[in-house]
Amino acid sequence: MIDPQIIVLGMAALAALVSVIATYLAILEKNLVRAVVFSAIQSTLYAFLYYVLMAPDIVLVYIPVAVGLYPAVVLILISKTEKEEKV
Amino acid sequence: MDPAMINTFILYIIPIFIIAFILYIIRALSGPTISDQVLAIDAMTYDIAAFLVILSIFFREPILIGAAIVLALWIYALDIYIAKYLEGKEMGE
Amino acid sequence: MYDILTYIGLIMIGVGAIADLLAAIGMNKFWNFYLRLHAATIGTIWGAFVPIIGASLVAIGYEALGPYRWFMAGAGFVTAFLILILAPAGSHALARATHRARIVKVEPCIADHIDESMCVKKGGNK
Repeated sequence: MIDPQIIVLGMAALAALVSVIATYLAILEKNLVRAVVFSAIQSTLYAFLYYVLMAPDIVLVYIPVAVGLYPAVVLILISKTEKEEKV
Repeated sequence: MDPAMINTFILYIIPIFIIAFILYIIRALSGPTISDQVLAIDAMTYDIAAFLVILSIFFREPILIGAAIVLALWIYALDIYIAKYLEGKEMGE
Repeated sequence: MYDILTYIGLIMIGVGAIADLLAAIGMNKFWNFYLRLHAATIGTIWGAFVPIIGASLVAIGYEALGPYRWFMAGAGFVTAFLILILAPAGSHALARATHRARIVKVEPCIADHIDESMCVKKGGNK
């Protein structure tokens, strides 16, 4: 029987690692809508991370802000301006 | 029924879910179009909601289940935002 | 009485995990957005709805949770019902927007009455 603490820490490490990759791709991406999608991946993984670290109240606050409101606001901003990033 | 058997069964279930999440994330990070990425995130998040319910049985903490409802409700909003943006190229009006 | 509920629930959780793995493999093996919708349907209905119902049935018969297990079972049933409604609606909205915005062509196509120019016939202009 494996200790549940090891499972929790392993899943948290995996979610954190993949969210780092998603954040890196979101920064490098030139198409801004795809950057919003990568940011949504990172938000979902952070919600799972907060859950696994036993903070369900933070999850209840974090999900509407990071998955619900933030992509909506950024997409409204992108639709008012331009789709591609110009360096 | 003894709780040890349920915990052992869930312990064998957890790696299957984790492999499935990794495969979903590969498609979500490398999809050719935006629609593929959003579809992969959508399916992955509903499965994460199921996984959260199973984990709350595994940890024996019934309070943790409130997060699953919120996650399943708000990822639908992301679908609708991206669909509305792709269809009309505008939002808010 | 409760043992039967627990066994049914564990079987449903196992079926959900296997369906989830199959859907994730299909999401990588299919080569088109409209084909990946099949994998997404398997992943949301068989991979999310069925294990949540199973987990709620397990929670009803799980004496170690105390009286909170009824709260847990009720919240699980509500979540499963919401996923049963929301997942097909989201997939449908996404597919409709993708077809209307002409992002992905319909690749294995016999007839497309909405927009004929989206249809790529087999052996045609490939």
